[in-house]
Amino acid sequence: MKNYIYKIAIAATLGLSFVACSDDFLDDPKPSDVVSEDVVFATRGGAETFMSGIIRNTRGQYVANAHDAGGLNSIYYARTVKGNDIIQAPTWFLSDYAHENREANYRRTSFTWRFSYEIINQLNVFIEGVENSQLSEEDKNNLKGQGLAMRAFYYFQLALEFQHTYTYDSSLPTLPIYKKTNEDAKDLSTMQEVYDFIIDDLTTAIPLLDESRLDKSYINVNVANAILARVYQTTHNWQGVEAAANAAYGGSPSAVLAPSTYASGFNDMSNTEWIWGLAQYSDQSNYYYGAPAAQADHQNPSYNGTYINANFVNKFSNSDVRKLFATKGTAGTWQEFVTTKFTFTFDADVALIRTPEMILAEAEAINRQGGRDTEAQNLLFAVQSSRDPNAVASGNTGDALLDEILLERRKELYGEMGVEWFDAKRYRKGITRDSNHRVVVDLTPDDVKFILKIPQVEIDSNDNFDASVNANK
Amino acid sequence: MRTKFSGILTLLLAFVVQIGFAQQKTISGTVTDDSGLPLPGVNVLIKNTSSGTQTDFDGNYSISANQGDVLEFSYVGFTSQEIKVGASNNISVSLKAGEALKEVIVVAYGAQEERALVGSVVSLDNEVLEKQQLTSVTSAIQGNVPGVNLITSGGQPGTNPTIRIRGVGSINASADPLIIVDGSPFNGNINAISPDQVESMNVLKDAASTALYGSRGANGVIVITTKKGSFDAPTTLTLSAVTGFSDPAVKLHNVLGAEDYMKYYWEAKRNAIMDNGADMATAGQNASNLIISELGYNPYNVATPIDANGNLVPGAKLLWDTNWENELLRKAALRKEYGMTLSGGSEKSRYFLSANYLDQEGSVKESGFERITTRLNLESKVTDWLEIGLNSSMSLSEQKFPTQSGNAYQSSIQWIYNVASIYPLYERDANGGIVRDNLGNPVYDYGSSRPVFSNENAVGSLYNYSTKYKRSNFNINGFAKVNITDYLSFKTNLSYENYLYDHFDYANSEVGYASNVNGRITQDRNITTTTNFINSLNFKKTFGDHTIGADAIFEAYEKEYDRFGAQGEGFLPDYRFLVGRTSPTDAIGYVNKERLVGYLGRLTYSYKDKYYVEGSYRRDGSTKFAKESRWGDFFSVGGGWIISEENFLKNNSTINFLKLRASYGELGNNNILDSNLNELYFPYLQAYEVGYPNGSNIGVYLGGAANPRLSWEKTALTSAALEFGLFDNRIDGTIEYYNKKSIDLIYNQPTAPSTGYEEITTNVGSLRNYGWEFSVNTLNIDSENFKWRTGLNFSLDNNEITELTQQSFINGTKRWEEGKSLYDFYMQEWAGVNPDNGNAQWNQYYHDANNNGQVDVGEGIFDLEEWKYNNPTLANQVSQTTTENYEDATKKYVDGSSLPDIIGGFSTSFEYKNFDLSALFNFSFGAKVYDNSYASLMSGLQRAGFQGSTDLENRWQQPGDITNVPRLLAAQNQSNSRSTRFLYDNDYIRLKALTLGYNLPIDAIEDIGLSKVRVYLRGDNLWTYQTHDGIDPEQSISGVTDSRSSILRTISFGINIQL
Repeated sequence: MKNYIYKIAIAATLGLSFVACSDDFLDDPKPSDVVSEDVVFATRGGAETFMSGIIRNTRGQYVANAHDAGGLNSIYYARTVKGNDIIQAPTWFLSDYAHENREANYRRTSFTWRFSYEIINQLNVFIEGVENSQLSEEDKNNLKGQGLAMRAFYYFQLALEFQHTYTYDSSLPTLPIYKKTNEDAKDLSTMQEVYDFIIDDLTTAIPLLDESRLDKSYINVNVANAILARVYQTTHNWQGVEAAANAAYGGSPSAVLAPSTYASGFNDMSNTEWIWGLAQYSDQSNYYYGAPAAQADHQNPSYNGTYINANFVNKFSNSDVRKLFATKGTAGTWQEFVTTKFTFTFDADVALIRTPEMILAEAEAINRQGGRDTEAQNLLFAVQSSRDPNAVASGNTGDALLDEILLERRKELYGEMGVEWFDAKRYRKGITRDSNHRVVVDLTPDDVKFILKIPQVEIDSNDNFDASVNANK
Repeated sequence: MRTKFSGILTLLLAFVVQIGFAQQKTISGTVTDDSGLPLPGVNVLIKNTSSGTQTDFDGNYSISANQGDVLEFSYVGFTSQEIKVGASNNISVSLKAGEALKEVIVVAYGAQEERALVGSVVSLDNEVLEKQQLTSVTSAIQGNVPGVNLITSGGQPGTNPTIRIRGVGSINASADPLIIVDGSPFNGNINAISPDQVESMNVLKDAASTALYGSRGANGVIVITTKKGSFDAPTTLTLSAVTGFSDPAVKLHNVLGAEDYMKYYWEAKRNAIMDNGADMATAGQNASNLIISELGYNPYNVATPIDANGNLVPGAKLLWDTNWENELLRKAALRKEYGMTLSGGSEKSRYFLSANYLDQEGSVKESGFERITTRLNLESKVTDWLEIGLNSSMSLSEQKFPTQSGNAYQSSIQWIYNVASIYPLYERDANGGIVRDNLGNPVYDYGSSRPVFSNENAVGSLYNYSTKYKRSNFNINGFAKVNITDYLSFKTNLSYENYLYDHFDYANSEVGYASNVNGRITQDRNITTTTNFINSLNFKKTFGDHTIGADAIFEAYEKEYDRFGAQGEGFLPDYRFLVGRTSPTDAIGYVNKERLVGYLGRLTYSYKDKYYVEGSYRRDGSTKFAKESRWGDFFSVGGGWIISEENFLKNNSTINFLKLRASYGELGNNNILDSNLNELYFPYLQAYEVGYPNGSNIGVYLGGAANPRLSWEKTALTSAALEFGLFDNRIDGTIEYYNKKSIDLIYNQPTAPSTGYEEITTNVGSLRNYGWEFSVNTLNIDSENFKWRTGLNFSLDNNEITELTQQSFINGTKRWEEGKSLYDFYMQEWAGVNPDNGNAQWNQYYHDANNNGQVDVGEGIFDLEEWKYNNPTLANQVSQTTTENYEDATKKYVDGSSLPDIIGGFSTSFEYKNFDLSALFNFSFGAKVYDNSYASLMSGLQRAGFQGSTDLENRWQQPGDITNVPRLLAAQNQSNSRSTRFLYDNDYIRLKALTLGYNLPIDAIEDIGLSKVRVYLRGDNLWTYQTHDGIDPEQSISGVTDSRSSILRTISFGINIQL
């Protein structure tokens, strides 16, 4: 009997001792790879870690196993291959090159949309977090300025891609606008509303910012001005372009041009000419997602995707430092020329905005306002003479000068930001490909091929519109 | 005082009783079976004591017993009998064969008589397991258990099959079944368990059988029980050895040789130039001039090998013609397996000791799997009230796993299907001679001017890269059982598992994707430890015709995942250890923990062994959910009725056994996965994730949106079955229906991406899986020398989406909407080749608004179902035409699903004297597969250098050609875009295992001290019938190919020796 009781006692003790403490047992595990909101917005340093994380995600590998959909550089390079100067081999970006990657369920469409809006939402969280924090006004202002300018930049990218250009018809429904996080899905705002919003963000941000920043992958007042210059180039606000571009590069062309660095590989953002870049590091790399270098470099092992149109090669004088071309394939074929402009390594930085673009933007703006073409010629020549010691100052005026400026932009910026596409779209011109192209598809002015359709994933989950939203795209 | 008194009284009483019956005498007798043959080795035990004996070879026994004692006669496979000792000194009994129907099988937290089961459990014993060459023990389920869809994972040994029990009831949570080993959840890799150490593997399919696993039972449970030895059994030593050779079980698609490729590419190029306006002669000449430059290589000894008419120029000879398949895949992969087991037991203890070594090569060269497992299981009855046992195992394995599926450049199968044979394996000099290194070894050609997969060589990558997985698994599982009374016991069970997973990845410093940083090594070493603690109080007592059982159980579970990894770049040539790096490039480390607490109860009641009722309940708390929503309640009820025990069927000569059983229950799932199928530990939390530095600045990033009140995914399962035994149980079988509704799915609900979140993890949506399962086993011939058995099982499974958060959406090749299944293909319809111009055509549906019989702007329909939904009144006014423009083709349901209509298995075995022959087939009918690999081969050579199928010989060449293969065109085109052109019936029958064995006659081996010698010849996956050739029919549940290596066909010879 005693034995019997004893056995029950052992059993019960063993059993019950573990039943009692189950709540503590379940409360204990905590995640080890995250931090809370309190930590992030407690200090300026904390908020900066969030901004750093956002910037890091603009240069990552957004879509797994899709080396043409990594970050902001993928959007830029997809525009690059849509022109006439560059021929893309049948590797990544081949459908962008063929002007086919624009259907509602295609990768370019969904990537550009999803990626940009994800970054925008992070920035909305960032801006709200900063506003609600206990940080000093000075810190709040600077951080908020960075957030607003970057948000404007991504809305601008979306506005460029998902509708006709601003001057085509600014009443067209274009994008949903979210000024805050955690809002319900919204209907499309018009192009006018989108640009008003972008310009408002930028003009709010600029007074809050100064030239200081952690490094060139962050936004400061120069970057914000440069973005505003591009926006005004699109809306044809030439006075605005002139002021913003000038502020972006500082007004002194000779101080911000470093021609000797043009041939050094376009992989180092510490370059004087770089206003804004995407950094890469050997231990923080997007690896083969690193277009343009991962496509354009034919010396180091990578995709060997970028070829140069022979007719474009012929536009450079032999003394031009930018004439960085090598023969690869048979003469007369599309594989004839490649460029050595970009050196691919896993730590190759990507140029986002450079000073010569801003100098030429200022020249263009002066030319478009009329009557001051000499000033425009001087600015143009500042770039030309920096690149080519034998350059001759232009005597062109009016539209002829504009054409010369636009050509100079192509020569200066090829491979970088899709300059041909950007200029053709905002001036509502087509892009005609030479017959030596691998795929000859021409774009007429205001061609729908300039536009990405609204992605199917958005149509499926946004109750404000249906597939007819793409009817005329 | 009172207690003391009662104690003394009890003692006294016991003493008196003891004296009263102490009239010991010797009882003897013979035990026979019901045909009168003597049964040796029958256990004869005096009930409620530990004294007993066994019958000798002639079935005789003798035992000392007292009058009034009860003798228990028990023998495996026979119904036990109890006889009270009376006046007679002779007790002879005849035992009735109970066979399978009386078997005790392992179920959730215990064991039950099979007869008493109210749930659906299929038990695979070691005999079934022994009939196949298994590397992962769970592979044995295929073809043996109805209602389970199992997809083998390709030709890399040591990878485990995908198992779906009764369909797929989860979308973003894991659909894998729970695996229990010796009572505790198993979190290692199942390939750590050697099949020869497994006594039984039971598949629990319905609510009644899985409800006690509550939160983890919704996907079914696989309960593995390891061998234990036997009490009162002599020591047995078994040695086994198997050696075999493997090659791929099915052939790959045929691809073009170099000469054909050059001619075809010329034609493709000529067509492209003609499309740009050139006449045929000019185009032919231009193509002849251009193709070498486009292809980047010239496999011929002349500069322009193909002339303007597409013919080979005289004197042109191939310098190389690379057969990538032969270079990448093994024709004979070796498999070796050796095992040793030692088992036995005394009256009080039993033991099982085993060691097993396996070394298996895979179908891709350099791939392989090597494993050592050992196991020691001990169990002892310490006293009449205490039992203690310990199961321990250790398993070490190394898996060499060169990239063979997926879309990395070096991926073997993708390479075979993409790189034309005109590219050399080795680097060639200007004259076509092989370039050699300083040591005279040929140098792999990494092809910087090869337009396809430049700077890579898949064959070279097998040697220049290295991907290895090392796994070690230590498992200790101990229990103590206290028999408080003969009807009440307490059991405590503590198990600990330590699983170390080491993933090593080396990329060469000289060539390939990391050569620009002088090589890279990435190594992860993750430790998963699992501790599980179960305490149970078990009650079972019979009162007359009533038997009542009750179990109260408490379980606590912890899993800890300790991640550690490092990466470095910059190595000396072929130096393969992390320490040699110039710069460390990454380091990672964190610890995640999951805990679960469960309170369980089970009540069983049976009346006259005829009616059974059972109820289970479990309350679970999980750390995967927030405090407010972490508890879930799960339950089941079930009943069984042995109809054959009723008077109207008793002694029926045809129907020996008939049982009806049914169950209903609600189960859960908390195993939530991210998009890379990694388990999420805190899926309800949205927080700032660390690990996003930007240069020297620390970086955090806000994680995905989640519902903070996220909770259990629930599944309601109804199941009903009829079990029968006919003609002296020569035929037995089961017919079963199931209906499985999964509600409150843990689902990444799509949200508008413009909000910044593409999805939010929440409980929404529901799925239904339902179907019929059949199995029948027959003993066709049963004579002394010859036995023939057959078994057939199959299931008809269906899947239906019953609730979705969106009206519909397109998910790859499928479209999900309520009322349809997850697996219905939705794509463009192929409409053949236009005989006039050789262009591909697809069906275009349109709404002819102006009735002019043609498609005008705005009339075309891109997505038929979507359009019908938006235009319900016009749904029957849709016309159809064809288009050569893929963008205009209409997506629609194409009457096909990746879910088979019927899957199952057929087995048969013959025994003739000492010979035995067994075969197991498995089959699947009614599924479709979308063959991406073949689509890529049939692209019409649009991309220079990319391989083509030999089927391109049927291409359209001139107006009037009637063919299904469009013209070749070396320019961007859509002819191989996704459409029904590449959607194929995927029916197959596979001879999964065939074994011919011979047991040496006893008298021949007795003299040398052996008790059993068996030799056998075995073939695995020897034969496959399939409706679509070129791929392994087992691809994926979703029916889309991914350049997978084929599973292996193995022929082996084995020997088992027992002494």
